[in-house]
Amino acid sequence: MKKLLFTLALSIVLIPIYSSAQDSKSINAKNLFGDLRARHIGPALMSGRINDMETHPTNPRIIYAGTAGGGVWKSNNAGTTFNPIFDDYCQSIGAVAIDPNNPDNIVYVGTGETWTRNSISIGDGLYKSKDGGTTWNKIGLENSEHIANIVINPKNSKEVYIAVLGALWSDSEDRGVYKTTDGGVTWKNILYVDKKTGCADFAMDPDNPNILYASMWEFRRTAWSFESGGDNSALYKSTDGGETWNKIHNGFPEGKLGRLAIAVAPSNPNVLYTVIEAEEDTKKGLYRSDDAGNSWKQLNNDFGITVRPFYFSRIVVDPKNPDVVVKGGLTGSISRDGGKTFKSLGNMHADIHDIVFDINDSDRMYVGTDGGVYRSWNGGTTMEIVENLPLSQFYHVSVDNEEPYNVYGGLQDNGSWYGPSSSSGGINARDWNSIGGGDGFRVLRHPTKKIIYSEMQGAANVWRFDVEKKLIKTVQPLPTKGYAKLRFNWNAPMATSTFQPDRFYMGSQFVHRSEDMGDTWTIISPDLTTNDKSKQQQEDSGGLSMDNSGAENHTTIFTIAESTLDENIIWVGTDDGNVQITTNGGKSWTNTSMNIAGLPQNTWVYHIEASVHDKGTAYAVFDGHTRGDMTPYAYKTTDYGKTWINIISKDVVGFVRNIQEDYVNPDLLFLGTEFGLYITLDGGNIWSKFTKNMPSVAVHFIDLQKRTNDLVMGTHGRGVIIIDDISPLREISSEIMSEKLHFFKTKPAVMRDQGGFAGNFGSETQFVGRNPSRAAQIKYLLPKRHTFGKMTMEIQDLDGNKIASIGPGKSKGINIVNWNFTIKQPKVAKGKTFSFGGFTSPRVKAGKYKAVITKGKETFEHVFEVVYDKHSGLSDQERDLKHNTTMKMYNMTQELAYLVYELDAIIDVSKDKKKLTSALNTLKETLVITTGDNYVGSAEPQLREKMADLYSKIAGSYDKPSSAELENLSIIEERFNAAKTDFAKLKKKSKFKDLQLKTFDEFINE
Amino acid sequence: MKALNFTVLGLVLCFVVTLEAQSVEEIIENYVENIGGQEAWSKITSMKVTGVGKQQGIDYPFIASYMKDGRTIIDVNLQGNSFIVEAFDGENAWSMNFQTQKAEALDSESSINYKNEAKDNLTDAFFNYKAKGYSVELLGKEEWEGTECYKIKLTKTPVLVDGKEEENIDMYFFDTENYVPIAIESVIMSGPAKGATSQTLISDYQEVNGLYVAFSRIEKFNGQVSLELVFNVVEFNVALDESIFKMPVEETEPKKN
Repeated sequence: MKKLLFTLALSIVLIPIYSSAQDSKSINAKNLFGDLRARHIGPALMSGRINDMETHPTNPRIIYAGTAGGGVWKSNNAGTTFNPIFDDYCQSIGAVAIDPNNPDNIVYVGTGETWTRNSISIGDGLYKSKDGGTTWNKIGLENSEHIANIVINPKNSKEVYIAVLGALWSDSEDRGVYKTTDGGVTWKNILYVDKKTGCADFAMDPDNPNILYASMWEFRRTAWSFESGGDNSALYKSTDGGETWNKIHNGFPEGKLGRLAIAVAPSNPNVLYTVIEAEEDTKKGLYRSDDAGNSWKQLNNDFGITVRPFYFSRIVVDPKNPDVVVKGGLTGSISRDGGKTFKSLGNMHADIHDIVFDINDSDRMYVGTDGGVYRSWNGGTTMEIVENLPLSQFYHVSVDNEEPYNVYGGLQDNGSWYGPSSSSGGINARDWNSIGGGDGFRVLRHPTKKIIYSEMQGAANVWRFDVEKKLIKTVQPLPTKGYAKLRFNWNAPMATSTFQPDRFYMGSQFVHRSEDMGDTWTIISPDLTTNDKSKQQQEDSGGLSMDNSGAENHTTIFTIAESTLDENIIWVGTDDGNVQITTNGGKSWTNTSMNIAGLPQNTWVYHIEASVHDKGTAYAVFDGHTRGDMTPYAYKTTDYGKTWINIISKDVVGFVRNIQEDYVNPDLLFLGTEFGLYITLDGGNIWSKFTKNMPSVAVHFIDLQKRTNDLVMGTHGRGVIIIDDISPLREISSEIMSEKLHFFKTKPAVMRDQGGFAGNFGSETQFVGRNPSRAAQIKYLLPKRHTFGKMTMEIQDLDGNKIASIGPGKSKGINIVNWNFTIKQPKVAKGKTFSFGGFTSPRVKAGKYKAVITKGKETFEHVFEVVYDKHSGLSDQERDLKHNTTMKMYNMTQELAYLVYELDAIIDVSKDKKKLTSALNTLKETLVITTGDNYVGSAEPQLREKMADLYSKIAGSYDKPSSAELENLSIIEERFNAAKTDFAKLKKKSKFKDLQLKTFDEFINE
Repeated sequence: MKALNFTVLGLVLCFVVTLEAQSVEEIIENYVENIGGQEAWSKITSMKVTGVGKQQGIDYPFIASYMKDGRTIIDVNLQGNSFIVEAFDGENAWSMNFQTQKAEALDSESSINYKNEAKDNLTDAFFNYKAKGYSVELLGKEEWEGTECYKIKLTKTPVLVDGKEEENIDMYFFDTENYVPIAIESVIMSGPAKGATSQTLISDYQEVNGLYVAFSRIEKFNGQVSLELVFNVVEFNVALDESIFKMPVEETEPKKN
């Protein structure tokens, strides 16, 4: 059979060569990203929103957290720490469920969070894992957008019910209750009401899987309003596995209903709880049924029970006690008297969305909030946060130019923060600094001063914080005579200028400009929005429960960009679709939105990026998701907006939030979408999704740090994610793809002397952000992976002498190899124990070096430069002294090693010469440790230890050798010289003429 | 000549892929054939590897010895001293304590797990996988670092984790061109990183007496290289002193009266 195929194959051998030649012009970067890899720096200290929690039915160590924007996380240690298990897929999670019949393996994830705030993301269907979350398959319901519950028949794994809330922003027929009877192969909609009404909650009788409860909710959001409730909201029951449904409203309030929660007490299926959003405030609240839904009684309508039903509508009953009920809410509420009275859960982050009880001990609870997962060991009274969930939801991110640079940004319900891009021992929770309260949005560093601007929702406060003097003031634009009431977006734009460091812009419906850091403001534009009054009725927003948080403010400016090439050019985008430009510093404005072909009118302008390469060039991205339009939109103009061209290719999935232009290569662009990062190398003809440690997370904002070329992303669910040094992407072209191996240009590598004390306390359970590499990085492109035969890499001096041997990367695409500037550690004399100083490898001198890759019979060379760290302030002479002293001690260490080797060899063959061996052993005992261990049983240090410790001390210091060190060196040297003399005498005495010894070089290089 | 044949074979198989869907059995069969064949490998009774482990800029020369029955010892040369980092005598796993440089037994759970894994130390996990009770599943084609691969899920003998048996899964990425694995992804089963994924990159396949062995193995965790093993010499069926696998028992000094 094989032979036959062989012949067949030879006959078509030319076909792929032909087709690959056709493809040679277009480069799909996806296969080339190689070692270019995202680095997550968190922060996790404030974590982020959790949508759904789930426990394993038999193993209390296993807990799942389904998060609003950060995927699914699994704990294997009873909630001490969690790991992400869903990075490749949509990160907005509605529900997680474990098959009770096969709980170790079968897990379902329904995507699309369900607590329908304005900043909510969307899902893309239902997923199933057959191996406890290691691998996943999408199994349908692609248009469901938001999945509220997944319930598996505990007696039949093939029978699964899915509660689909459905689209938030538009009509949809993909709503209601879906059922499969074949484990997810086929689905049937078994409860559908209309295009506006979805299933918000679902429960199954624990004893009888044919008894089902479904709460249907009529709801709709627009960018400017929210409406909860209507005639179609209702609570239904089925007793025949979903064949037929009946409303169970006996005891319910009259009139329209809103979002209803439903829970069945696991220990008594006749006890049901619902939370009702009704027309009359007095009729809202908790209702209980003791007859499986035949009749209901209102028990409680406290604030904690009725608050914001669209955001908090979860009831959970203690698995062992039907009278212990917990309700999500602003603080979360717990009742121990069957729902009559409630008290708040213990102090923790506000906004409680879900609660689960430990399967064995109801004192243990896990609570999902807007600020991560909390654990309780005493029934919800005291809460402790899980510290390794970096789920922070950034709306915006920016960077400064410090060393290391800082990252700034504002988060959903978690204020504003800045933190370093690297820190001793990794970026810890303690490295982050709070820089604003409320919901945080934009944060900008003053271009030249240590001053930070931050804001809270709707520019209610815009803070100007003097970091050095620790002085805070608020500087938001205030109502101005002769102008209409100011309308600020919830996420109000701010901008600074490249030309005037103290200039500061804010956007309401007008552009406000200050030349004195916000102390005085001038309005420099007319109302740049559509000023559509029908979109300005926020006081009527909410439906049955008024909800005028300010989040729905609309017809506002959303993005402002002053050109870095001309301060008179300012681009402005509005949330109602206008792209405005001034070329005269605000004297006149032109709306260019009519010139954008293919873009539906009034589509939200999410970001405008003014090109750094050309004055008339800009990029604009648009987000239509709040109108139910999930299409990605990105456009480019090269003529000040007169014409716009579409730069989106079919490769992009998910609506677009941001775009970043490269500072060097105008064709290199980065696109932040709801489902991750895309990169184009050719100005938008082909976009490739970047997936190297980059989850499919919503990327709300992107910045590019100029000095380091680091791409910094503010994600809405996975914190700040950085791709270090994207510069290799600038060079990739079809020409270099045809090379066998292409070295990328690199800046001189700095041998950093700066250090610090890490103090890794708490890192056992805390998230620690990864630092960038401090090594010299050799970067090259392989057009094809190396699999067979030898491939090696050496660092050589320019004369071709080997300095170090390092492992080369062999993957297709970009390979990045780290070299830590050191030569091999010295060969150390053999003793009984280890010489710790001897594990030190010395650094090379600054200068030029070659990376030489040998691949089969071919070699490839690349010269690169290594420079000293200027921070240590050493002169060239001092550097030389340090290097020469270090190398002198390195060589001494190796000489001693050889001497001890010779000595041991003579002892080996002198067993019968007692006097000689005794003298040799006596000498040896002064050279190396011959007894004890490496800990508290260690012996007195001998010459080897003293020599190696001093060597290590000098090599490891940033400074030149001190006089004390040099004096110590002379003592060691003297002792070594004496030892050499003593050994030479003994060696002579031994008279072994034909002793077979390795030469010094053989010994050192073995 | 061997290498040439290999390349041709690779090309051929590449086209086979485009002509008909591959079954997981065929992929594994091709792989075993490519690295020397079932028969040749079944004649191997021992293997000795001399190489260097590279970790954080430091080179650690090592000699690893493997017996067909799973017995293993990995001896690292640290400043001229022998330091056993991993050993298994057929029943018990042991290693040296760094502070005392003395041998200590691993906990019994680790020994049980080692025994289950040790059968794959000399020959590959896919050798006689059915007889070993392993199961395989082809999850489809996937890019691995830009190279098109078959993703094969290998389910091995369950491991014991803190007293509980857990499923033991490795994801193998077989290069669709050459039918050899170029990477393995494994979920870390215990310790603080439990649940996270580690990666092993396999390359530099070279011929030794008609058998192909990967001379480079790079262990990665969280994108960082944690360990690189470079094989310099691989020897088959060499005579090994069988006593080396046993954990040395320290002789107690006779009491002085």
